[in-house]
Amino acid sequence: MGIKIVPRYGKSLKDRLYLPAIFGGMKTTISHFTKNLIDTSNIKTECYPEMQPNDITDRYRGVHRLTHREDDSVRCVACFMCATACPADCIFIEAVERTDGMAEKMPAKFSIDLLECVFCGGCVEACPCDAIRMDTGIFTFIAEKREDFVLNKEQLLNNTARKEEN
Amino acid sequence: MATITVDGREIYAKDNAILIDELLSHDISVPHFCYHPALGKDGNCRMCMVEIEGQKRPQIACDTPVKDGMIIRTKGENISRVKRQILELELINHPIDCPVCDQAGECSLQKFYMDAGLYESRLDTPKNKKLKHVDLGSNVMLDQERCVLCTRCVRFTRDITKTHELGVVVRNDHSFISTFPGKKLTNPYSMNVIDLCPVGALTSKDFRFKQRVWFLKPENAICDGCSRGCSLLVDHNREKYKDDIVFRYRPKHNDAVNGYFICDYGRLSYKKENDNRLLNAYIRGMESEFEYATLKLQRLLKRYNSKALLLISPTLSLEEMYRLKKLAVKLDLSINGYDNTFDEDFGDDMLRKSDKTPNRRSLELLGINSSRQSLERDLKDKEFILFVNRFDTDLLQNLNFEGSIGVLSSVDFTPKDKLDILVPVVSHTGRDGTFINCDDIIQYSQCQINKDIQAAKILDLVEKVFNDGIFTCKAVWESGLEEEPFLNGIKFDSVRFNSIKIEPK
Repeated sequence: MGIKIVPRYGKSLKDRLYLPAIFGGMKTTISHFTKNLIDTSNIKTECYPEMQPNDITDRYRGVHRLTHREDDSVRCVACFMCATACPADCIFIEAVERTDGMAEKMPAKFSIDLLECVFCGGCVEACPCDAIRMDTGIFTFIAEKREDFVLNKEQLLNNTARKEEN
Repeated sequence: MATITVDGREIYAKDNAILIDELLSHDISVPHFCYHPALGKDGNCRMCMVEIEGQKRPQIACDTPVKDGMIIRTKGENISRVKRQILELELINHPIDCPVCDQAGECSLQKFYMDAGLYESRLDTPKNKKLKHVDLGSNVMLDQERCVLCTRCVRFTRDITKTHELGVVVRNDHSFISTFPGKKLTNPYSMNVIDLCPVGALTSKDFRFKQRVWFLKPENAICDGCSRGCSLLVDHNREKYKDDIVFRYRPKHNDAVNGYFICDYGRLSYKKENDNRLLNAYIRGMESEFEYATLKLQRLLKRYNSKALLLISPTLSLEEMYRLKKLAVKLDLSINGYDNTFDEDFGDDMLRKSDKTPNRRSLELLGINSSRQSLERDLKDKEFILFVNRFDTDLLQNLNFEGSIGVLSSVDFTPKDKLDILVPVVSHTGRDGTFINCDDIIQYSQCQINKDIQAAKILDLVEKVFNDGIFTCKAVWESGLEEEPFLNGIKFDSVRFNSIKIEPK
């Protein structure tokens, strides 16, 4: 194994004087400051929560939702693929026989613990029926109790896809 | 002995044995649907094709006798093309509804498709529609669309139970499995067709949609339904934030005892491991601290000593009986194993025995009295009777016993107010132990499921009196059990993995 000699920087007189770098940095700061002071409408920072982000893409993984069939019933067939794929083990399903002839099986209970969820999107990838999606665009979820962070089947079915703004 | 070469590897096989048996016993994977060691060959699925040197076409391994010097190929471009084509035919009318199919995860069709299939479907015609959920009776559900018509179930009812309930009806690709009109599956071994079915056509109504099979953890155990002591696989799982639950029993292949099958009664007896369990200790009908109750029990036994009787159950393991016998000697207690759970209608000439306890033979071999007369004799001038792993109210009334009563039980019951002490113990799959069946075969039940219920193991309770650090079955064997004459020097380590026939003199 050869030895790689790494050059050392900062030994020159200009570097050791220190002040030229300070003034260089100040120049950038002051130029942004004056630019933003003159034209406040173009500032990149948003005044959250009064302003909501408008750059959430289609691929953004927000809070989950369960999708519906054409007749508005639940699409999920409780195959447990999402629960199997979930690295955080935060999907809890109880299956039951479906009697309306749409499928053989459906979830009696389907809940996701958002406090345990790591929002990896593994469940969406795993689903063979396109029954779970993370396209709600909900990026914050607020509740007062820990129990309220466990979304049940009805809540997940009520979540809707994010509407395209513009 | 014959020497055959399989994929360039030499293996020794029995002369004239069936080729597929020898290949499978050497861990060479041969996909197959219709062949089953207990049912023999049928040759209808054509899935087990192998290439044999000197033969023009691939041959089915389930109908080829082994000959010395055979050269066989199970892999290669030619043979995988054949397998892929057969699988494609099998799947033409298969609904491919794996997400809702209970067999998914233990399905031969899934496995073989991943091993040998992996083709794109070339089909654009609609699939044949058949009935999706037919209740065949005896907890068996039939999905005719998923069936590959291997006829294992038909041959089971024809050759094994000889009840002839199932058959294949209608011709061509409209064929399906069915019972005779108006008839149901009724034989006491019906649910074995669920295990026999290589695909999801026959599934258990009892297990239906309860759990996906890949979550289940199988453990070896011995059935405690009757004195046959069939080998079992106990499928259990602890879901997150829930208790450990036994979801089903399956037969485990054991040529010495049960072959490939178990009866439906034994299969469904898993329910008592989950339901109606005793959850608390009680003293005179009042709920009590578990620790306090176990200490109180010790005090009671020591106080009554020669005035106390241990009435033990033939469902206890050999180790537990041995230790309780030791305890009886130490504390000068009487010990008896009288139990009359015989059901003459239950026994048959296949597996089921009329004696519905798993370990009555051990009572006899350990020399513990178990006759009615001995119980009446033992019970004279007794003031305390401790039921171990049982509670028979009828027997108690019969005997006109007036003294105090203690019970160790895993099952909940009412009323409890007549009992002086009631301590919960673990159920059959909660502790390991060896059992001696009706044919003197000693077997080890390994399964120890740790439920959230606070329940004592009987070995632990006995240890509290002796204070000798003997908690495990192995320790019990080494502490003197293996010197018992009827065991003929059998050691615990050899019982652990084998069923051994003991020959008591």
